[in-house]
Amino acid sequence: MAPPTGPRGGSARTTAPRSSRGGGITKRRAAVKTDRDGDVAMDAPAGGPDNAGGSGRGNHGGRSGGSRGTSRELTRGASRTIQNIKAHLNRTTLKILGLRESKAASNSDGGLRGLVEFLQRKVKGNHPIRISKSTLNGDYAWISVSKEDAAVLLKLDGYTYAGAALKISETSEKWPGTITISPQAALVKENLIKVLANRYNPEQKLLDLSALGGDDILKSMNLFEGQGTAQKAFKALIGTVSMQYDNNAEAKKEAIESVSLARNGLSDVNQVFTLAIELPGLKRLDLSGNSLDTLAKISKWQHRFRDLQELHLTDNPVMTQENILPELLQCFPSMQILNGQQVRTPDQVVEALKALTPTPIPQFTSNVRDGENNVAAIFLTNFFPMFDSDRARLAAEFYDEDSWFSLSVIPNSGRPLPWKSYLKFSRNVNRISSSRDPNLVKRVFTGGSMIAEMWKALPNTQHPAINNPTMWLIDSHTFPDLADPSGLGATAGLLINVNGQFEESDPSANLFGTRTFSRIFILGPSKPSNPPAKNPYRVISDQLTLHDWKPQAVVAEQAPVINPTTAPAANPGMTAVTNPAVVNPVVTYPAVNPITFNVEVPDDMKARLIAELSQRTGMTAEFSELCLSGAANWNFESALKSFEDLKANLPTTAFTGNA
Amino acid sequence: MVATSFSVLDANIRSSAEAATEFVDWYYPALNSGKSVVSGYINNNVRYKEAGHAPADICVNGIVVPTPDEWDSMLEKQRYTAITSKNTVHYIVESYDVHVINPDYRFAAPADLLPPTSGLESQRARENKRLEGVRIVMMLTVSGTVHFGTDAKDPVLKQHFNDVFILVPNWDVLSRAGSRATRRYLISSHTYRAY
Repeated sequence: MAPPTGPRGGSARTTAPRSSRGGGITKRRAAVKTDRDGDVAMDAPAGGPDNAGGSGRGNHGGRSGGSRGTSRELTRGASRTIQNIKAHLNRTTLKILGLRESKAASNSDGGLRGLVEFLQRKVKGNHPIRISKSTLNGDYAWISVSKEDAAVLLKLDGYTYAGAALKISETSEKWPGTITISPQAALVKENLIKVLANRYNPEQKLLDLSALGGDDILKSMNLFEGQGTAQKAFKALIGTVSMQYDNNAEAKKEAIESVSLARNGLSDVNQVFTLAIELPGLKRLDLSGNSLDTLAKISKWQHRFRDLQELHLTDNPVMTQENILPELLQCFPSMQILNGQQVRTPDQVVEALKALTPTPIPQFTSNVRDGENNVAAIFLTNFFPMFDSDRARLAAEFYDEDSWFSLSVIPNSGRPLPWKSYLKFSRNVNRISSSRDPNLVKRVFTGGSMIAEMWKALPNTQHPAINNPTMWLIDSHTFPDLADPSGLGATAGLLINVNGQFEESDPSANLFGTRTFSRIFILGPSKPSNPPAKNPYRVISDQLTLHDWKPQAVVAEQAPVINPTTAPAANPGMTAVTNPAVVNPVVTYPAVNPITFNVEVPDDMKARLIAELSQRTGMTAEFSELCLSGAANWNFESALKSFEDLKANLPTTAFTGNA
Repeated sequence: MVATSFSVLDANIRSSAEAATEFVDWYYPALNSGKSVVSGYINNNVRYKEAGHAPADICVNGIVVPTPDEWDSMLEKQRYTAITSKNTVHYIVESYDVHVINPDYRFAAPADLLPPTSGLESQRARENKRLEGVRIVMMLTVSGTVHFGTDAKDPVLKQHFNDVFILVPNWDVLSRAGSRATRRYLISSHTYRAY
């Protein structure tokens, strides 16, 4: 029969005239007929408790089954679902006491149906009340009604029904026995559990699902007749296994290490695919005696069983194919034994698994290219102790009216420290909906005094010493795109990216702990002013991101030697360093020296470099070492250069002849 | 020098946030789908090249990467597994923040984007909103999680990543009115850390 298309198709969109049309829609509107739909419990067959939760679904299924496929039906079905949900949200539950004492209690359904009819009779109004479901639980009858109807029904509290006084009250308790399954389903489940119990060997942790077609219980259930049914039955069987372990992956893995699916006439693992979903942690799998004939029939499980060590495929046509082994090894990266023979060593398994995992970009130590004056090192050496001890002074010394500061938090995992103190300042643009959001502007703090004020509100911090290389990852380089503070032209700036951690203490809230962070500074030359700025450079931008990740200790020997010819042309260094306190080597050496950025040089190599430098420059071994281990970072040429730059300022004690 | 007025500051803040969002929305989906990100870097921009701007400074996990192409191939290497290079690495952005670090950038800027010098030009400039919050250099930081493994929901390995970009105007695109689709800002510096 042709589906009702054409003229009727368009009507789905027009909602207004619906109720006046014939067919199912009118039916829905008419209260009496609604009862017939089964929405109302009074029409349910005796044994009413089973109707729990069923009305909407049963109805819907029955109807669309009758004439499915037309858009009209789909639209109606969808709107019906929405109506059901809406109705559900407006529903409430009433508990009624007294039925047990009534004369109706001896009825086959415990008097429930009679009670429901009684209530509907008693309420007289413009519309009959709708009791969408009802059940008996202990001494109480439970009914589900709309909130409007509930108000009316509650007025019946104290009425007498079949000789007993009714006590009606509203409840927010959960509908009793919400999870009920039909007796048939319960029987199937019981049988499946029986099957599984017969076939499970707890000592071997083996679930033997071989030759299921010959299983007496399953045969009696007619479950494995026909391809489609068998697949569904297998799914149910494996699903039942999962349920026995509350779907807990670890528990399943612990209890079931081996599964046999031998002699099941399988021609494609798709027929039992669910095994890979429910029991992905299997160590041994027996598929022997099936009809798997090509790799494609097995490779659907590729990488599904990552822990599978042993596979049996004997008596399958696929085993006669040439070169099947490498393919199977690919599919099952942990497989060591195929058909009882060792095909891979444990070491090879490790390799195979590694090949399946992408390799993160290797991690190297800090990379500081901050020009010749160690600006980054000196700045950081000063910055963090001051941030911990005197934020107001820090802001005054290094920030000016054009400096920007903002912070962002990524509170994504359960660290012990709460984020409250930071969240109200967090300027995570990712979470700011539009460029019109006032927080976009409000949460950038501009100008030293505003920044200092904001810092006051942050918890106390204690950063580790900057000379502890395991605590920090610092990358820094110069770049050319800043505005010259004189007002015209461009000048070089310095970018410093710091990844580290600090101890936080908030004594008022009694909160103490470690936080991890990334903090990025843009430094630029100070503006000309009178008197001159205290420091030759200022913080133009300071962004702090708080997160939950600790930088991993870096394997230092991996550190590459950076080839200066492949690196971008060095931008001019920050030449504005004129503050004598900064360039005086006596001051800067202790400040700079402790930062052991970059390459970890073996001790014997260091000794050779020190001796060489000492010989070339006449410096003592101690000063040669200071020179090499500083910004030169054991680069002999750099050390020699910085010696040339600084030798005029070096104290006489630096040289061997004067020692 | 005149201190930056509030309205200019405001315009810069908003337009930098828009530019940052645009950038993030392009860059990370490109990484995740294995597309090249070379076009986002200043290196191949003729205007900057001819004006003598240094190539982008790219520093990845502490090592200097000479070219964006090299960075592309590092990413490809990171995605590689014996089976597939597709969908094996996912960058999930959790936070980003952006500051304007130079509110009046003029390097290699075309004349029509420079501040007006005559009355007629300022008339034109008033009509042409494009000049507002455009000639800026930005520092953008992006943080989030990198998921390794084809199953994005159940990654074999997770890392935190932290990207710092300095973005400069892409003059060619900005001087074409109404163009939003292509990179409006280019990477002049990129510092990457994942741990």
